[in-house]
Amino acid sequence: MIEWLGLHTAYSNQFSDSLLVLLVLMVPLLMGGVAAFWRPQRRWPVSFVILMALLTLGLLALFLLARQILEHGSQAWLIELGPLALHWRANGLTLLLLLLTQIVTLASAAYAPAYLKSEVGRGGAQAWLWPLQGVLTTSLSLIWLAGDLLTLYIGLELMGLAAVGLMLLPGRMEALAAGMRYLLLALVGSLAFLLGVALLLGGWGRLDLAGLAMLAEPGPVLWVSVALLSAGLLLKAAAFPLHAWLAPVHSSAWTPVSALHAALVVKGSFFIAVQLWVVLVPEAKAAAWLVGAMGGAAVLWGGVLAWRSVKLKDVVAWSTVSQLGYLLLGFSLLIGTGPTVAAVAWEGTWLQLAAHSLAKAGMFLATGNLIFSTGESHVKGLAGASRRMPLSLLSFGIASISLIGLPPSGGFTAKWLLLHAALEAGYLPWLAALALGTLLSAAYVFRVFRYSFVEDAEPLDYRRVPWSMEFFAMILALASLLLGLVAEWPLLLLRAPGGEP
Amino acid sequence: MSQAWLPLATLATSLLVVPVIFSLPEGAWRVRTALNLGAALLKVLLVAMMVWGLYQGQSYQFSFTIVRGVNFLFQVDALGLMFAGLSSLLWLATTVYAIGYLEDSPNRKRFFGFFSLCVASTVGIALAGNLFTFLLFYELLTLSTYPLVVHRGHAKALDAGTTYLRYTLTGGLVLLFGVVALHVMVGDVTFGEREMLADLGPDAHGLLTVLFLIMLLGLGVKAALVPLHGWLPRAMVAPAPVSALLHAVAVVKAGAFGIVRLVYDVYGIGLTYQLGLLTLLAVIATVTILYGSVRALAQQELKPRLAFSTISQVSYIVLGISLFGPFGTVAGLVHLMHQGLMKVTLFYCAGNYAEELGIHRIDELNGAGRRMPLTSIAFTVGALGMIGLPPVAGFISKWYLGMGAVQANMQWAIVVLVASSLLNAAYFLPVLYRLWFLRGPSHGVGEWPDERHLGRLETSGWLIWPAMATALFSLMAGLLAGVPFSPLDLATFVTAEEYTP
Amino acid sequence: MPPFLDALLALAMVALATLALLDRQLVRACAWFVAFAVSVALTWWSVGFIWLALLELLLGALLTGAFLFHALDIRQWASAPRGRLARWRDPVPLTWQRALMRLLPALAVLIMLAIALDNLAGTPGPLLVGGMGLIGLGLWAFALHRHLLRRLLAFNVIGTGIFLILMALVGDRNTAAGHGLVVTGLLVALLGTALGALLIRRLNRLDGRRILDVAEAGRSRA
Repeated sequence: MIEWLGLHTAYSNQFSDSLLVLLVLMVPLLMGGVAAFWRPQRRWPVSFVILMALLTLGLLALFLLARQILEHGSQAWLIELGPLALHWRANGLTLLLLLLTQIVTLASAAYAPAYLKSEVGRGGAQAWLWPLQGVLTTSLSLIWLAGDLLTLYIGLELMGLAAVGLMLLPGRMEALAAGMRYLLLALVGSLAFLLGVALLLGGWGRLDLAGLAMLAEPGPVLWVSVALLSAGLLLKAAAFPLHAWLAPVHSSAWTPVSALHAALVVKGSFFIAVQLWVVLVPEAKAAAWLVGAMGGAAVLWGGVLAWRSVKLKDVVAWSTVSQLGYLLLGFSLLIGTGPTVAAVAWEGTWLQLAAHSLAKAGMFLATGNLIFSTGESHVKGLAGASRRMPLSLLSFGIASISLIGLPPSGGFTAKWLLLHAALEAGYLPWLAALALGTLLSAAYVFRVFRYSFVEDAEPLDYRRVPWSMEFFAMILALASLLLGLVAEWPLLLLRAPGGEP
Repeated sequence: MSQAWLPLATLATSLLVVPVIFSLPEGAWRVRTALNLGAALLKVLLVAMMVWGLYQGQSYQFSFTIVRGVNFLFQVDALGLMFAGLSSLLWLATTVYAIGYLEDSPNRKRFFGFFSLCVASTVGIALAGNLFTFLLFYELLTLSTYPLVVHRGHAKALDAGTTYLRYTLTGGLVLLFGVVALHVMVGDVTFGEREMLADLGPDAHGLLTVLFLIMLLGLGVKAALVPLHGWLPRAMVAPAPVSALLHAVAVVKAGAFGIVRLVYDVYGIGLTYQLGLLTLLAVIATVTILYGSVRALAQQELKPRLAFSTISQVSYIVLGISLFGPFGTVAGLVHLMHQGLMKVTLFYCAGNYAEELGIHRIDELNGAGRRMPLTSIAFTVGALGMIGLPPVAGFISKWYLGMGAVQANMQWAIVVLVASSLLNAAYFLPVLYRLWFLRGPSHGVGEWPDERHLGRLETSGWLIWPAMATALFSLMAGLLAGVPFSPLDLATFVTAEEYTP
Repeated sequence: MPPFLDALLALAMVALATLALLDRQLVRACAWFVAFAVSVALTWWSVGFIWLALLELLLGALLTGAFLFHALDIRQWASAPRGRLARWRDPVPLTWQRALMRLLPALAVLIMLAIALDNLAGTPGPLLVGGMGLIGLGLWAFALHRHLLRRLLAFNVIGTGIFLILMALVGDRNTAAGHGLVVTGLLVALLGTALGALLIRRLNRLDGRRILDVAEAGRSRA
């Protein structure tokens, strides 16, 4: 299964070979800097032109990288900094995740100018939004590309700090308090990660995943280090029961930041966890069962909390906990099951990750629009909202189709694959978790819609939502919906040479 | 892939209308009406072309891969076309009716948008070529009917919507489990590849029985088989065109159609018989038929009486299927069409009484035949058809059911048939008696509850003509049962396909 | 390097960390923390990691200390009359029961870690023993304290413990990788502390304003 990660590739230490990947990493940073310098709200012509140029450059680099991978299989680079060597690699999966990151970040960044102008006004530290988004994108890309634990650690830390920074931007009391909590948890999580890495380094004297996969032997050292690594990562991924920090953080953050966080940041930690387990303990079935059970509990508990939530944003935030549970269920089907099950679960897990990212980002943006246009942050406040049939409600609905996992959405196809894997592996409790999760998610989504269809409510005074805010919410939601029909395309990437299950 | 565009275009006629309707302003009444009618007419035309082509021996297929081993497949066969024909025809009528019914009421844009989505799902169900595609549109149907059920937006409608969702989403989930499990066992089953399951051998019979029951459970919810029928009477709060649509074609029929597909095209009638599942189906159908009729008898309001009558009538289809032998099959299939025609007529008429005279209770109908002769004639035709009197279409269904029972050596089914016909007569004849023979407000006795004069005729023309048309069709389907392209002819065509290996 | 000095250094680190984590006077605790960082730098020096020692001195002692004092608003403290020190004091008293309860998770981690370390070859040096002590102490304090600044201190202590263990395990096999990890870790710890310190200061100010607002509102109503 480790070959699906594309780690066993000849590393090239030519600087010229790594130019493309450096470009992919640097462009988001540059774009963030440019946007901070020439703020899009005020000087949009200048920043628009420069940003478009940079964007074209970045996408071109990504495209060329994709071509290389699809033609020649996975690529790997050795970045040498004095005696220190960093291992980077890219295969189909990396490509898929890179693409996903770019799409979601771009949508959230492009949503931001209108949002800041109309909703936030002058408050908060607005200039920092884009640079931090750039850092976040780069750090995520680093995580997807990393082939050794040091790079992973750097990426993880950078991502955590950028995420905390983004959460703090509104500058209000609640945002600061939630941000502080998040900061402490993120720091503790990374300490656990570092301790695990220290044990691995002490045990086998190297940090590159390919080498560790060959050398690492089962024993207390491996188990303790994997336990520490997993604990740190699952804390950052808001996996049940380490999820309590998630909702307060979202309820006070800016909408594009929430979207970015729920869609990508928690996924970064999840990806690292999957990768480490596949590399280090591919046969630890019992432990994977435990993780799966946690996932099942997350599905249920997150669903119940989302259902009981009073505020609209809390519904969306708790649903993230529940949806991450699906990912953990998929995770447990990868470890210690047969190759046929793992192959299906592999595709199901990544499809679920992509579908959830798009749907959740779209849903957060749509929620932001609903709150903006009605001025109500409570679910009950939406009473009668469907009379105007605002586009945002439609975007919310489309995104929620994917969250519930109804066809033809990406969430549905992913659930199909996960069900398939669970049935084939004979993990019957997982079926129950998937079933109850579906019903619960339907319950919390339709609770929102139920209010929106109330006819005898007092008329709300609507504010017009700027078109760009509507547009990007809709685009992301539609992408999550259509992903279900064209699921074969992203999955073809997974099966690119050097990554085929 | 010959002429793949035709089924796709049929789907697209209603699917593409949806975004257009949503983007039109609420006040654009003319454009919306033109669009709806145009699309409905075009669809009838396209289906007619496919029927013609099928008789010429053409085959239409369209497929693409969703994920490995799972295909989206449109495949046109006689059974599917029968259903598509029924739905496109009744849709034309219902669109006309809905335009009249909803005149000057709020939220028409929302209504017609989801209405078209609902048509699209039904067409998708009809043309689906495998269980995955069927499931996809089956769930889409649930989603698109919810806004129609809660359209009125008062507490009762919202509660009915919630109940509806609880039943149908759970049913859909159960169906999903069955379909995935079947997929794990044998892979993608295209409708008509009956030998795939039959070839599995006796070892698999236990599992196949269980899967059949699971899928029957999922489909039975929408088909309103007792005891899964609870949502149907409550969904009566929806506007009359929606009730007509839910009962005659869309939801209930989708369930019944799914059972037909399951028995004939997935398991094959031979295997189902071998597994002893036909007897089970017969028992369920009998219970539902008698229970629905008895409950209908107890209703004091017109629409709930029709609702329970639907529960009972739809199970004739299931009863027909469960009678092993060509006559039983013909009976089941032909009733799929006949029941749709007759029931839709009855609902139009009930809607007309409610709109024009404000009548909801049966005892308010005294003498309405004089005030609204055309509507009452249509109602009479529909009711007599339901009882099974010649020459209305219902007679053909019951005649073939009786022959099927003799052929399958299940004479007790005839007793059920007679009993239920007597019950039908018991709950419809009093209504007819009141309509025509009792003295009411139009004879100067008392007053109509809420009389309005909606048109130059007895009520608005938009409301009259659809009812007259469907009543005429029900009459013709009985009178001209022997001519080509009649429902009976189509059903015989399908049956011939089924029983000749 | 005589073993006596090793033991002394390890002891000094743990003792200073204990003082920093248990002092309820926050300014004094921060001062203890700076002293602790210096002792860590000395330990790095004593085992031959000169660069790490300098970095620890710069990032750990100087900058982290500066941010911590900034969080406390040290200038105001200096000019405040002795009687108004309550602001710079953690008001939550320490009870034995709580302290013991919070010890359990720390012990669990320590035992787990000890099992793993036991399986790795190598003699327990000052780094390993000191590191274990610091991790246990820090975890306990982190679980125990509610005050944000004290949790930040605890986080820094745990981090230092991990760095020590890391370098002890690496030995001279892959020093570059070890250095890379520790330097990243130090930078992250500094950034985290800086962010936390700024936040604490902001929160204090906002909180103070809110209390003032409430008082104002109450007075006007009366």
